[in-house]
Amino acid sequence: MRPGEALRVVLRSGSGRLGIGLLAVLVFVSLLVPFFYPLDFGLRFWNNPIAWADNPKAAPPAWTNLVGDQAPRHRVFDAESPSQTVETGPATTRLYSFTFDHDSETPPTFLSVSVGEVSFYDRPPVISMSLARPDGLTATILQEVVRGQRPDETPPVSRFADEPRRIFLSGDTNALTAATDFLLQEFGLRLSEAEIQGNLEAALFGTPTSSDAPEFEPLTGEYTATIRVITYDSRDAVESVRFVAAGGVFGLMGTDTQGRNLATGLMFGFPVALIIGISTSVAATILGTFFGILSGFSGGRTDTIIQRVSDVMTNIPLLPILIFLIFVLGQKLWLVMTILVIFGWPGLTIILRSMVLQVRSGQLVEATQALGASRWRIMFRHVFFQMAPFIVAQMIFFTPAAILAEAGLSFLGLGDPSLPTWGQILEQGFRTGAIFIGYWWWILPPGILIVITAMTFVLLALAMEPVLNPRLRETAA
Amino acid sequence: MALAYTLGLRALSLVGVVLVVLVLVVVTLGATGFSDRMLTAIVSEEMRGQRQALAETIRDPERLEETLRERRIDLEEFYGLDDPWYTRLPAMVGRVLTLDLGSARNLRSFDGSSRVTDIVLERVPYSMMLVTTSLVITAIIGLWLGAKLATRVGTRSDRLTSYLAAASNALPAWWAGILLILVLSFQLRIFPSGGLYSSPPPEGELLRFMDLLWHAALPVLTLVLVSVGAWTYVVRTMLLNTAQEFHVTAARARGLPEGQVMRRHILRVAAPPIATNIILALTGSIGGAILTETVFNWPGMGRLYFDAITTADEAVIVALTFMFTLMYVAARFVLEILYVVLDPRVRYTAQ
Repeated sequence: MRPGEALRVVLRSGSGRLGIGLLAVLVFVSLLVPFFYPLDFGLRFWNNPIAWADNPKAAPPAWTNLVGDQAPRHRVFDAESPSQTVETGPATTRLYSFTFDHDSETPPTFLSVSVGEVSFYDRPPVISMSLARPDGLTATILQEVVRGQRPDETPPVSRFADEPRRIFLSGDTNALTAATDFLLQEFGLRLSEAEIQGNLEAALFGTPTSSDAPEFEPLTGEYTATIRVITYDSRDAVESVRFVAAGGVFGLMGTDTQGRNLATGLMFGFPVALIIGISTSVAATILGTFFGILSGFSGGRTDTIIQRVSDVMTNIPLLPILIFLIFVLGQKLWLVMTILVIFGWPGLTIILRSMVLQVRSGQLVEATQALGASRWRIMFRHVFFQMAPFIVAQMIFFTPAAILAEAGLSFLGLGDPSLPTWGQILEQGFRTGAIFIGYWWWILPPGILIVITAMTFVLLALAMEPVLNPRLRETAA
Repeated sequence: MALAYTLGLRALSLVGVVLVVLVLVVVTLGATGFSDRMLTAIVSEEMRGQRQALAETIRDPERLEETLRERRIDLEEFYGLDDPWYTRLPAMVGRVLTLDLGSARNLRSFDGSSRVTDIVLERVPYSMMLVTTSLVITAIIGLWLGAKLATRVGTRSDRLTSYLAAASNALPAWWAGILLILVLSFQLRIFPSGGLYSSPPPEGELLRFMDLLWHAALPVLTLVLVSVGAWTYVVRTMLLNTAQEFHVTAARARGLPEGQVMRRHILRVAAPPIATNIILALTGSIGGAILTETVFNWPGMGRLYFDAITTADEAVIVALTFMFTLMYVAARFVLEILYVVLDPRVRYTAQ
C-alpha cells in the first residue's frame, strides 16, 4: 500500500482523525516554544527560585474566580520612567504611582517593591513607598537609603545592577513597624510585633474592627501605591521600579508552592515530551528493523546471535533497570532516551524476523530471485516495503511507551533537572503533598497532558490497524 | 522428556537473563566507582565495631591506632579494595546474588535493622500481595468479559471496550492512582489515601485484616483499572481469530451447543496466544506496581525504591534492582510452564 493510500485509510476512521488533530496541536505548541523560551530555561528560570519570587505561592488559576469566592487578582506594576518628577532645590523626587482597584474581600497575599539599577554621584538616593487608601488615609510603609559610596568606588556609583533590590514588604521589619505606627496614629490600635506579623496586608487593605486585636474589615476601592526615589544630583539615574500586590489566583494554570507559573512549565513540556517519544521510537524502530531483516535474511550464526540477544533483552524488566542505570549514571535526559532505545529494539526484531522468514519463502521473492535481483534489492525493495506499514505502526505504538517511561522515571524523582517535564512537575506536586492539600491545579494538568499525548499516538496506532489488516478495512468501510 | 528439554531450555535462557542483569549492574557499579564507595562504607562500619571491641582490651591509644590500621588494611584486602574493580567482579556478583550488600545508609527495616537483606526481604510479601491480587482479579474479569465480547463483535459495548483498551495503554498506573486518591479519598473520603493500616490499627485479627483490605482496595483497583482493558481486548481478539477458523465452523455445523464450541473449540485453541500476551503484559504490571506503591505509600519494594532514591541509598537500590529482575524472571518461568502445558505444539517441535 502506498503512503497516500494508507493516510486515506487512517483518515477515514474517527480515531485517526482525532489522533492526527491532536498531533497537529501538539506539534504546533511544540514549535512555538523555541520562539518564546531560552534553551537553558530549566536551569536559568524554572529551577531558579529568584525568577519566581514575585508570583503568589500555590495560587489556583485566575479563572477559578468565575466560581466561588473572589480572590484578589495578581497585580504587577512596572515602570521605567516616573509618572511625575518634582524638583526641590538640588533634590529631585521621582514619583512612580500605580493605581488599582482592589475589589476583593481578601487582601493581597503579599506586597513587594523592587528597584532596578540605581546610579548616583553625590549622595545616595532615598527610596520610600506609601499607599493611599480609598478612605483617604495614606500609609507610609517603606523608607530606605541606598548604600552610600565606599572608599574604593568612584562616581557614578552603581547599585543593584546584577539583580534588582527587592523588598518583600510582608516580611520586612521596617515595613511592619511602619504599619504598626500607621494603625496607632490613625485608628488608635496598638499592636505588638507578633500581632502585625502576617497581618500587614489585612491591616493596609482594611479597617480595624477591634481596639486591641488584629481584626480588620476589608476595605475595597481604589488604592494608589506611590514609590518615591529622591536623588541629589541631576546625573543620577533609576533604571526601573516594580510594585507587586500579589493575588490569590494566578494566570491560566496557577502556581506551585515556589510561585512558579505552571503554565510556562507545562508549555515547555510539550516539545520535551514529543522529542522523547518520537526520537526514541524512531531510533528503536530503525535498529529493530535493521536487525530483524538482517536476522531473518542471513540465517546461520548471525541469526542465532541476534535472536539470543533479543530474547535476553526482552526478558529484562525495563523500569527497574532504567531506575538503576539513571541513578548510578546520572539524571540526564539523553541517557534515559539511549537506554529506552537499547531496550526497545529487540521486541520488533523478533517479530520482523518471523515475518521475513515467511516472506522469504514466498513466491514473490522466488520470482524476483529468478529475475536476477540482488540480495540487497530483494531485502529492501520487496521485503522491507511489504512490511513498512507494520513497522510504522509499531513505531507509533512504541512512542507512548517511551513518553510514559520518562514520566514514570521523573515521578520517582529521577528527572533531568535541566529540562522540566510534565512528570517532574507532577513529582514535585506529589512530594509537596499537593494531593492531600487539594492543589488540584498542580496535579491534574501535567497528568492530563501526559495522558493526552500518549493517547494521541495510541489513537494513531489504532487507526493504522485497517492498513495492516485488509480484513478489517472491508468491515470498517 | 521433550517437556523437560523445552522447559530446561527456557530456564537456561532465563538464568541467562538474571546473569546479564547481574553483570550489567556490577559492571556499572564498578566502572562508575560506586562499588568502591559501597565497600569502603562496609569496611568503615566494621572498623567502628572493631574499635569499640578493641578499646576494651588495648589501653594504649597509640597501639590501638596501630592495630586498627592493620585491621583496616586486612579488611580492605579481604574485600579487594586494593585491586582494580574488575578483579572483584565475581565476588560482587556473589554479593548481589545473596543480597549481602552491607547496611543501608538511612533506611531501616520495620524492627530497626539496617541490613540490606532484612530491609528488602521483609517488603517482598507486600509487593507480591498487591501484584498477585490485582493479576488474579484482572485475569478473571478479562477472560470473562473478553469471551462475552467475542460473541458480539461490532456491537456498541465491543467498540467501547476496544477504545477503553487502547486508552489504558496511555494511562499510567500512578496517574490513575493519583486520580483515585483525589476523588475517592480526598473528596469523598471513602478510602484511605495510603499506608497499610489505620493509625492506630484496630484491635482483633479480623478487624485488622478488614483494615488491611480497606487500605489495599485503592492500589488494587488502580492496577486492575489500568490493565483490565488491554486484557479484555487481547482475549476478545484472540478468541475472535480462532472463531473464524474452519474447525469452529465445522463444530457448529455438527450442531454442537454454543457453550461447548466456545469452551472446547475456541478457548482451548486460543489459550497459548493469550498466555503469550499475558507474559508480555507482565513487564507493565511490575513497573506499574513500583509506581503505584509509591503513590499509595504501600510498604512494598516499589515504595522502598522511591525512598532509596530519595535518600540516595545505593546498596538498597542495587538489591531492589536485582530482586525485581528475579521476581520478574520467576513469574515468566511460571508462565512458560503454563504455556508448554497449554500448547501441545511446543512439546512436539522440541523433539
